[in-house]
Amino acid sequence: MQNLDKMLAEFAQQKLEKQTRRHFLMDCVAKVGGLAMAPLMFGCGTGSSELNLSQRDLNPLSPLPPPYGAKAKSIIYLHMAGAPSQLELFDFKPELAKYHNQPCPQSLLEGKKFAFIRGVPKMLGPQANFSQHGESGAWISDYMPHFQKLADEVSFLKAVHTDQFNHGPAQLLMQTGSARLGRPSLGSWVTYGLGTENQNLPGFVVLTSGGKTPDAGKSVWGSGFLPSVYQGVQCRSKGDPVLYLDDPEGMSRNLKKNVIDAINTVNKEEFNAYGDPEILARINQYEMAYRMQIEVPEVMNITDEPESIHQLYGTKPGAESLANNCLLARKLVEKGVRFVQLYDWGWDTHGTDHDGSIDMGLRNKCREMDRPVSALLLDLKQRGLLEDTLVVWGGEFGRTPMQENREGKTQSFLGRDHHGDAFTMWMAGGGIKPGVTYGRTDDFGFSGIEDKVSVHDIHATILHLMGFDHEQFTYEFQGRPFRLTDVEGELINKILA
Amino acid sequence: MIDFILPLFGRFHPILVHLPIGFLVFGVILIFWSAEKYAIYSPIIKLAFLLGGISAGLASISGFMQFQYEGYGWDTVQLHLILGIFTTFLSFGLWYHLQKSAVSPPRLKIKGALLLAILTLTGHLGGNITHGENYFTEVLPPALQAFLGGEASSNEPLELPADNWEEVEFFTGAIQPILDQNCKSCHNPKKLKGELDLSSFKGIHKGGENGAILENGNARESSLFARLILPEDHDDHMPPKDKRQPRKEEIELIKAWIESGSAEHATLGETSIQLSLVEPFFKKDEKPFYPVVAVPTLAEDSISILRGSGFFAEVVKTDSPFLKISCINFPAFSDSDWSLLASAKEQIVYLDLTGTKITDAILEQVSSLPNLTVLKLNQTFIEGKNLDKLNQSNNLKLLYLNETKVNSGQLKALDKHPRLEKVFAFDTPAADSGTSSQFSFHLETGNLSLPPLPTDTIVY
Repeated sequence: MQNLDKMLAEFAQQKLEKQTRRHFLMDCVAKVGGLAMAPLMFGCGTGSSELNLSQRDLNPLSPLPPPYGAKAKSIIYLHMAGAPSQLELFDFKPELAKYHNQPCPQSLLEGKKFAFIRGVPKMLGPQANFSQHGESGAWISDYMPHFQKLADEVSFLKAVHTDQFNHGPAQLLMQTGSARLGRPSLGSWVTYGLGTENQNLPGFVVLTSGGKTPDAGKSVWGSGFLPSVYQGVQCRSKGDPVLYLDDPEGMSRNLKKNVIDAINTVNKEEFNAYGDPEILARINQYEMAYRMQIEVPEVMNITDEPESIHQLYGTKPGAESLANNCLLARKLVEKGVRFVQLYDWGWDTHGTDHDGSIDMGLRNKCREMDRPVSALLLDLKQRGLLEDTLVVWGGEFGRTPMQENREGKTQSFLGRDHHGDAFTMWMAGGGIKPGVTYGRTDDFGFSGIEDKVSVHDIHATILHLMGFDHEQFTYEFQGRPFRLTDVEGELINKILA
Repeated sequence: MIDFILPLFGRFHPILVHLPIGFLVFGVILIFWSAEKYAIYSPIIKLAFLLGGISAGLASISGFMQFQYEGYGWDTVQLHLILGIFTTFLSFGLWYHLQKSAVSPPRLKIKGALLLAILTLTGHLGGNITHGENYFTEVLPPALQAFLGGEASSNEPLELPADNWEEVEFFTGAIQPILDQNCKSCHNPKKLKGELDLSSFKGIHKGGENGAILENGNARESSLFARLILPEDHDDHMPPKDKRQPRKEEIELIKAWIESGSAEHATLGETSIQLSLVEPFFKKDEKPFYPVVAVPTLAEDSISILRGSGFFAEVVKTDSPFLKISCINFPAFSDSDWSLLASAKEQIVYLDLTGTKITDAILEQVSSLPNLTVLKLNQTFIEGKNLDKLNQSNNLKLLYLNETKVNSGQLKALDKHPRLEKVFAFDTPAADSGTSSQFSFHLETGNLSLPPLPTDTIVY
């Protein structure tokens, strides 16, 4: 009987989905511009009340209370795509230096698979100088001289591990909880569960820098099986933040309003005929897009920021940079955006060329990241935003203590291969106990030996801070409830305030 | 074939019981009311007692069926059942008595009053069985409850002392409290659902109608544990779907106890249990962020009205009465709009007026919110003239004044505030004057910077 109910519910859902797609295409076939805007247009709170539908039917992004007390209301997730080397940034391994250029011990290689390392590689000692900082005595290298001053603001996870060693799957695992395509991203889950406070801005904004988007493509901010309105909205860091948001020449805002009103009248008739709540969501999306025209250019414009702030972040308006994105992240969170995801590409230091070298390219990359990320923490702190904003920093995996020997040959630059057994991430802000270093790796930084933390544990902890129990936060799909953490995930209690 | 008839009839008991109550109360009222005109009313009185007797009989029989088929213990229903049957006979007795004499029998009022008293007692005992013995007392104020001798609620969640948890007895100190909180309301010696008593070690070892619930050392085979981890939709899942569910950590502890051999008196230390299993129960000194006061929950439609006015309005967490209000979508909010918030005075704990048109005058009203904990006044026309009003907001912990005109002299007024923890005054005159850390709260004036380093310009 229960199965029958489930099948019926799913059948109804499928039927509805088909209908929606057809209507969507019919509506949009003549409006390519509208189609491009589609992912950007979210609902709003002004639904017609006589229809007796829940707030969520009318506006899928309307806010919901967190089931448990939330420590943070917003997240800024800084993903260093390509995977930065923990051995040059945070995981100080003096022992490794002693083995520099010596063949890697067999015990490390047995049963292990690497992306590029073949045969017996040589060990590669740390290329940075480390020192301890703050009252917490956290080890931070001279690759990040500004960040060294913030040692007491963040909590380090030194023994994070993942089971993926290629960028795409590892990024998917880090952002969606599964290495395969099709799951909703962390940001989608959070926006689905909490909605967003500012109804004139998207709830989940994605900003990229470094010249490329992540290897896994847009699926890392996709909504998977959640309704597509919860996917991340990628805003461009250069030029118009959102395409087609400006009114076309000769079209006044009033005229635009008339157009939208006319479309909505037709849509309302459509709703009366079919009763499909997705039509209502669509009506609201038009209205929201109309309001976004004002708010988005305003919040995405950093030229009005005072000079002191530009100096702090090292921003140059108009450029596509991590610095600009960090400043934007602060502005968006200040404006009540729920989830801001930053991807910075270019951390894949294999040693195949100058830019990909551990001793030079990585140093340059760190210089571009060090100031903006430190500035972001300081700026959030001085405005009191750090009280309820969670900041997460990390890559999709770490890097080997061995020097990469692609195709068995010695590289012309110093580089490290992908490595998922142990790497460093940090968190700061809402609900995080600052100044903690949790987890320890072996003398080579090859494996975690104490307080290991899995990707699912990180997800469980983030959801906890946002006011969810990761085991109860589910979405029914294909006849079973799905979780971000699937069947895994333990809270990392030691880093919680 | 007709096995279901009797239990079905039993289920009618809660409905049938109301008939004798109606008839008999009516009859007794007539006895008192008819005093002089007894002759006129006697047929009605007689009829009331006849119908009362018949319906009381039916109620007694259906009640007995329910007792037979629904797993109530004899101790629980004993007095209720006996008094119910007694009520039946008494009703018939009175009817027979009235039937025989044409005039008002002597002491009829006393007999009627006696019947009413017994009826009331029977009904009350029945109510206790279905609604619980503390049905009336639990709504009373705690002080009055204690005065009436109500037992201290055993529904406290399990807590273990962090320093000497090893000495706590595993069963009496940890398992029984979990069972008391999650299972006892149905599985106690009185209610005995499924003939199972989980309120004592003896009861647990005895098992229930399906036999033993403990398999020595094997948690998966012990239904005391196995039923807890069944999917909630499963018919055999315990506790029932709509009841409070034990926490994951509590279930783990029950599992560990069974696997340790389910002894009665062994201590946690003796069973060499992992610290991680008991750690979640250690008493935390964590103070809740928002005030601990009972506040009525604002009705959903009142919250909708707030949203309709333009506020972001949401409870701070599911089932909490406390409200978070923000003007993020309401930049036109000004001092004169304050009355829109009047319905939620007690509930507002978080108020974000950032970017609105408010002035100093609003602080008078803001200070009337008794539970306000976080107040954001960034980017407003606040000049800090009557900041001292906020001393009345006893619960205020975080105050945001970024990009306003407050100066440090005005902040002095809040120096004696009992709970204020942090004040943010970035980009204000207070920040420019360079005063800091002279207050009882932490004053964050910002202007943080990252001085340039030589390495900033070295490109490798």
